[in-house]
Amino acid sequence: MAKVKVATIWLESCAGCHMSFLDVDEFIIDLSKLIEFRRSPITDIKDFTPVDVGIVEGSVGNEEEKEVLEELRHNCKILMALGDCACFGGVCAMRNTLDKEDVLKRAYIDTPSTYKGKIPVAPGVPSLLDKVYPANQIVKVDCYVPGCPPEPEAIKYGLTELLAGRIPVVPSNIMRFD
Amino acid sequence: MSEITLTINGKQVKGKQGDTVLDICQANGIDVPTLCHFKGLTDVGACRLCLVEIEKERNLVPSCTYPARDGQVVSTSTPRLEKYRRLVLELLFTERNHLCAYCVATGDCELQSLAYKYQMDNTRYQYSWPTQTTDSSHPNIVLDHNRCILCGRCIRICDEITGAHALDFGKRGWKTNVCADINQPLGESSCISCGGCFQVCPTGAIFSKISAYRGRPSECTSVESTCAICGIGCDINGLVKNNRVVRIDSPDMTKPRGLLCEIGRFEPLYEAADRITTPLKRNNKGQLVSCSYEEALDAISKKLGASDGIAGLASAKASNEALKAFADLMDKFGSKMVDTIDGDDCRTVTQGIAKFDSKSGLGIEAKLEDILSADSIVVIGAHPTKTHPVIGSYIMRAASKNKAQLVVIDPLRNPFTFRASVWLKPPEGKKEIVVNALGKSILDKMPAKSAADKTKYAAAFKDIDIKKASKDLGMDIHDIVKAGEILAGSKTGVIIYGSGILQYKDAALVATILNLAALTGEKPRVISLKRYGNSRGAWDLGLAGAKSSLSADLAKGKVKGLYMLLVDDLADSQTLADSIKGVQFVVVQASYRSPVTEKADVVLPSLLWTESKGSYTSIDGISKKTVPLVKAKPEIKTDADTLKEVAGHLKK
Repeated sequence: MAKVKVATIWLESCAGCHMSFLDVDEFIIDLSKLIEFRRSPITDIKDFTPVDVGIVEGSVGNEEEKEVLEELRHNCKILMALGDCACFGGVCAMRNTLDKEDVLKRAYIDTPSTYKGKIPVAPGVPSLLDKVYPANQIVKVDCYVPGCPPEPEAIKYGLTELLAGRIPVVPSNIMRFD
Repeated sequence: MSEITLTINGKQVKGKQGDTVLDICQANGIDVPTLCHFKGLTDVGACRLCLVEIEKERNLVPSCTYPARDGQVVSTSTPRLEKYRRLVLELLFTERNHLCAYCVATGDCELQSLAYKYQMDNTRYQYSWPTQTTDSSHPNIVLDHNRCILCGRCIRICDEITGAHALDFGKRGWKTNVCADINQPLGESSCISCGGCFQVCPTGAIFSKISAYRGRPSECTSVESTCAICGIGCDINGLVKNNRVVRIDSPDMTKPRGLLCEIGRFEPLYEAADRITTPLKRNNKGQLVSCSYEEALDAISKKLGASDGIAGLASAKASNEALKAFADLMDKFGSKMVDTIDGDDCRTVTQGIAKFDSKSGLGIEAKLEDILSADSIVVIGAHPTKTHPVIGSYIMRAASKNKAQLVVIDPLRNPFTFRASVWLKPPEGKKEIVVNALGKSILDKMPAKSAADKTKYAAAFKDIDIKKASKDLGMDIHDIVKAGEILAGSKTGVIIYGSGILQYKDAALVATILNLAALTGEKPRVISLKRYGNSRGAWDLGLAGAKSSLSADLAKGKVKGLYMLLVDDLADSQTLADSIKGVQFVVVQASYRSPVTEKADVVLPSLLWTESKGSYTSIDGISKKTVPLVKAKPEIKTDADTLKEVAGHLKK
């Protein structure tokens, strides 16, 4: 049987979900026989090719992240949101109760260690969206593994179910939001 | 009440007429998810999680407010219900800023647990990200509106159990928020800091500052004990992690003595002063230095063993066991000068009772629960909201829930005055006149028959001239007459007095108050607010039984050597330190460094009540036991053991 092709992306988040993914221990050996990673922060491949499963870690907070997520959705059959940021907005969404301009000013100008700070406006720097969004507010998401980070058990469960051809819903006992 | 039979999930169950559907489900072990429901509080049906399906009902109904009827056919778990419960959860999560990763309550949150239960792995609705504030103006309690689900538990506990009603909903609709008073910062509001709100809060919307991030309740061991601070004897549930008290909860706030107060809830979480962990002895240079128990006992035996004029002073914060050992030690010294720090108060109370009725002792005083069933309450010379806040709560609850008529006699405004039916403001030092005038006005309003039954008590007031009294007091005579009218019609009236009366050391005034109480019901119900956690226990042990107070003996210079059992008492320690200046040799057994220990020649360490096992007698005579919440340093001995060793060492 051909290996299942997987692409993962790391948007606005801390990479903790990818770390927790590596925490599945020896399961990763079995997994490597069944799946093949295309684009991911680990392979450092930047372009998209069509895959079976897309996994998104992180929320969507700027134009680039939005574009990357849309491109992944376009190229995958099933999209899984991994971690609180992708499922709900997570820690990144802390800025949502504040004004975007205030957030930028605080980060680039008001911080005590900053001298003559400036909000970057260069064309290569993606601009912030007005709010930070969970993945399902931007594109259609098929399944979710929440957690900050998700329990390795929950990640394992999610992938095993997907490989078995089912849409996973993480059971209560291994689901967590923190 | 008649019995009814329902069918719940296909099973026949029984309940009583008047039960709600939820009551019957819970009584029969049928799980129904709830959020706004809290046992002992009025149900409001705010959260809609306890929805159930009832046959022939048009809609899903909230089981917590729905009356159970005979023959109802109820389903508590159907696909339709599960769908709506998950929907409600998603709406609750997206309504405010519920992100668990940075919430103080995560892992200990009822909203979160329900989301896990219903496998809510995403929300189909957009988060609304309202701009909410966090109110941290209160020294101990934080109100974070971001996490609030408006269940109203805090508001109900504040009103129905604490009696403060400091919290309520403010604004309307989408903008509704829990607010204190008329939307004031919590720290500047009429909040009495009892901490009930954060104990019942199902989310992280209200939490205790000092307990935050110190450990989740699920990681803590929970130890049931009794609060030994003020003599009410409230049940507590100490949450302990790494040998540190993280939080003090009440095992059941809705039960009598289950309510806690600011003092009990927070005081044990703070280190009050520098802790004494070893015996200390004064060296040649006059400095207090650490020494062994042996050396300290030798010094005590040498100086006090062969001396006359030895006195003992104990703080009634100590347990009965410690006080007993202290009394035994004083016997061994052959000392007649034994007293407690609040001995004067106790003597005033008991002498007053003896004047009223020579046969009864402190047992004549009312039980605290009598306040809740009282139809009238007189508060005179007492500030229970400060000294015994749970009694304050009882009074406020009786006044607001049971419609007890409140008569407050105090020159200054206090939290009761605005709830009082009558507020009498006698000038300082004229309480006796007001009590007498009140007694006379009760007599005037009393039906002749009941007056005839009470001639014995009426004698004290018969010849009082109310008009003259009101003139003396500069008070409106109508107020006195109105108060008399209220009390004359009362059947279960309670009178509460405290330091404002006891400070005059006037036993006759206490007797007059008892006479007054005898007129306001079939028996006198009086509660005196004793100052310490075990004042009643110390009295029962005869420690405060001396004819004259030790402070008088100290002033006269009769005391040569003094043994003080101070435990963790830090009240008025400067005054106390000044009063022992002339004593040649002072031994202090205490938990903390204080001006008193600085005057001592030998200091012995003492355990805190949170570290030791002991029994305490509440102000109304109920014996309660403490269980150690945390382990003390193993080298510190218990107070009773230390005292016994001192006594044993004297022989040599």
